[in-house]
Amino acid sequence: MRPFTLPAPVTAIFRASVLAVLAFIIFGPLLNLLLWAFAERWYFPSKLPLEFGLTYWYRVFQPRGNALASLGASVWIALLTVAFSLLVAIPAGYALARMKLPWRGAILLLFLLPQAVPNLPVYVNIAQVFYQIGLNGTILGVVLVHASHGLVLAVWIASAAFASIDVSLEEASRNLGASAWTCFRTVTLPLATPGLIASAIFVFLESLDEFTGTYFVGVPDVTTLPLLMFNATMGGNYQISSITALLLLIPSIGFMLVVERFLKADVLAMVGR
Amino acid sequence: MALALIVPALAVVTLFFVAPLAMSVVVAFRGKGGGITLEHFAKAFDYYSTDLLFTLAIVVLSTLLIGGVAIAIAGYLTLGGNARAVAILRWLYRWPLFIPFVVAGQVMRTFLAKNGMLNHVLIGSGLIEPLSAQSLLDWRGIVIAFVWKQAPFVTLLLAGAMASLETQHIEAARNLGARRLRVLVDIVLPQVRGTLLVGLVLSFVTMLSVLSVPLMINPNSPTMVTVDVAYRINTHGDYPVANALCILSLALSAIGAAFYLRHASRASTAAT
Amino acid sequence: MKLRQFFPLAFFAFAGVVAAQTTLNVVTAGDQNMVDYVNNYLAPKFEAMNPGVKVRAVGTGPGDGGSQKIYEKLSAQQKAGSAEWDVDVAVIHQLASATMVNEKLLMPYRNDISAGKLVSRDTAKNALGANVDGYVLPMFHSQIAFAYNPDLVKSPPKSFVELNEWVKKNPKQFGYNGVKGGMSGVGFVTGWVSAYSGLSEKLEKGPYDATSAAAIDRALLGLKDFNQYVVMTPGNAGTLDMLNRGEIAMGPVWVDMFYTWQADGRLNPKVKLSLPSPGLPGQPMYYVIPAKAAHAALAKKFIELAESPDVQADGIVKQFNWYPGIDPQFVQPKLDQAAWNKLFTDISPADLSKYGRPFPLSPYFKEIVEGYERVVLK
Repeated sequence: MRPFTLPAPVTAIFRASVLAVLAFIIFGPLLNLLLWAFAERWYFPSKLPLEFGLTYWYRVFQPRGNALASLGASVWIALLTVAFSLLVAIPAGYALARMKLPWRGAILLLFLLPQAVPNLPVYVNIAQVFYQIGLNGTILGVVLVHASHGLVLAVWIASAAFASIDVSLEEASRNLGASAWTCFRTVTLPLATPGLIASAIFVFLESLDEFTGTYFVGVPDVTTLPLLMFNATMGGNYQISSITALLLLIPSIGFMLVVERFLKADVLAMVGR
Repeated sequence: MALALIVPALAVVTLFFVAPLAMSVVVAFRGKGGGITLEHFAKAFDYYSTDLLFTLAIVVLSTLLIGGVAIAIAGYLTLGGNARAVAILRWLYRWPLFIPFVVAGQVMRTFLAKNGMLNHVLIGSGLIEPLSAQSLLDWRGIVIAFVWKQAPFVTLLLAGAMASLETQHIEAARNLGARRLRVLVDIVLPQVRGTLLVGLVLSFVTMLSVLSVPLMINPNSPTMVTVDVAYRINTHGDYPVANALCILSLALSAIGAAFYLRHASRASTAAT
Repeated sequence: MKLRQFFPLAFFAFAGVVAAQTTLNVVTAGDQNMVDYVNNYLAPKFEAMNPGVKVRAVGTGPGDGGSQKIYEKLSAQQKAGSAEWDVDVAVIHQLASATMVNEKLLMPYRNDISAGKLVSRDTAKNALGANVDGYVLPMFHSQIAFAYNPDLVKSPPKSFVELNEWVKKNPKQFGYNGVKGGMSGVGFVTGWVSAYSGLSEKLEKGPYDATSAAAIDRALLGLKDFNQYVVMTPGNAGTLDMLNRGEIAMGPVWVDMFYTWQADGRLNPKVKLSLPSPGLPGQPMYYVIPAKAAHAALAKKFIELAESPDVQADGIVKQFNWYPGIDPQFVQPKLDQAAWNKLFTDISPADLSKYGRPFPLSPYFKEIVEGYERVVLK
């Protein structure tokens, strides 16, 4: 017996309206952001800005404005975080994926911790320690905090990337006489590169968007774009906070459009195994 | 050799994660004279018990909603009939994924206000009366912001896992006349349960640590414990009570971790 | 000149230029408008007067939390024994100034600059009961007042008691930001306690007496009841924002933020201000110089500029809508009548002197703030 189905036009309308509602839920808030970014005067009871303009864009980008400096600081910190994380995560991921490790369970647990445990106590106490050794309010301090969290993500994704490479390819290379390092360099690493790039992108984005850790460790000398945006929002400067939010979104959305090439479904499926 | 490769990563995690965490425990329990005391926890409970319950309720509710949304979207992406709808959905759902929590908090603040865009649209389309418009800038706003931001992440994981399933089972079931909902619940979901759990636990723990969203949407009591921690430190310099609160939220996250560890050990015993 | 001889000369010239570039670090607590004031107004003026100097302004956030951060920075450097500290000028709240003077984190400078003679108000010597004479100069004086929409509130309540009745008849039309969202909410709470505990004189002038705790708690219990009829806003700016959106009809705001928002087109021009009896607090924020500031002489010059009557008239009063830090009689001649009157459009000087109070003494202040969490929020 055929299951009961609704007539085709009804399902089509239903499908379209669900998608429309979803689009509103997803893009509505973002549209609001755009409105505020270009508003000059907007107060109740008008539903839309009374005046549009670019005055606040000038204010944001003026030489004395903090926005450009914060953007620079954010990007620089994110790049350093990625470099540091990858440098440490690639060997670790390879070891986890391919090699026999003593205390493997304990090591896995240790790497699980930063993702399984709220980071707030960590940030709060790191800030205290950094105060005493003079790392508070420095770029290096912020990079270390970002890296300690991003590292774990990088290790997980890297190990998944390495694990998804067919072992026989490496074995073939070794059988042909390549040393372990040559095999890694010419066979394993290139094959894992898409996954590694994906992990680099995630770490970069996580660092760029990171707020809580920087709130405790970076303030007041290091201002990243999220902190600037937060301060502008709390100060009621919605135009400025919307513009800085847009700035923050550009690398994120840009990567989103690009990352699909690098994140294959099977790599994603292996995350967390 | 293997150990040598992994030691740098271990060192970073130990120094910059485990050590401060241990410090947190020490400071939370350390009394004025140096002995062990529970007075900080007592004060934390005294002042913030409502907020602790509130935090747990918000995060649990958000996690459940995220699960529901992720299953629905990923399910449709895998089993959906209309190819164009699937393509649109696939493009649509991942946008919030790349928006940081702090921006999500900011956009929700103006979107969910009593005279914000959501209410304007609801009133404009005749769905609600102008006088009954409510501001959603309370616990509901926090839940909405969390689900909005995290659901795409779990959906991404789930969709990936579902995509790598063998299609024979699904096709066999469809050929036998099973409705798609049935296929989703009986065949697909059991196989991706592990990934779903990973995604939900990660989200649960992440949400427990978010400061920006509650600070921007609803910093007044009742609010999430993260706001209280920041307040204790920034305004009073009160590290002991702040750390006590952190330990308590650690305990909350242990609920999530317990779920994950149970699954992980079951999976590994099944594999051996 | 041969090329080889050119390079070392060029190098030294360059190094000379770089060395001549000094950076004056100004760290300020408070909302973004404080940072804007230094960045957009003071810094260009100072840099024009002192070529080779660059002013770097950093904000640490609103409320006492922002000042606490500055305190922590200086305290950490003191404990580490650094020879030179990385803050040259700080702008802080009263509560933190008392602590910092106590712990010898600040250098006395008032008598070293001529502007020091332009201030005779008590606030220059007394910070919530602590003696800070010589270490501080008020940058401005600010005042909290009720902002209300005259379309929705025909006759605003004239006292806290009237307000209490008003909210019961108009639920969810009044909003304030609690004690965690910024000082305007804190000021409202201390104003309430002042009105309902019957201790207003004592709270402001002292002496501190632990037996007052009972009266304070009783007043706070009344506030807990009051809270059921009001909306909690997300911060100083949150109150203004909700007023703007018509989501509340009345709320406590900083007078300067109020005028700035109206000037920026973020608040409806018809919203007005009023002060209830027995009063709402105001506070100065202080310029201070850390004890081991790296550029103390420059710092003094900076404060000298900031406290000069011209800058006080044009910057503090006219552009940023604060009440002046130095005595008004030095500032008034520098302003045209219209600009001076703008400060007093809704709140007359008489009202201001009667209902503009200082914050309670710091031990009472702390008791009220902690009591709010203990009594009202549970």
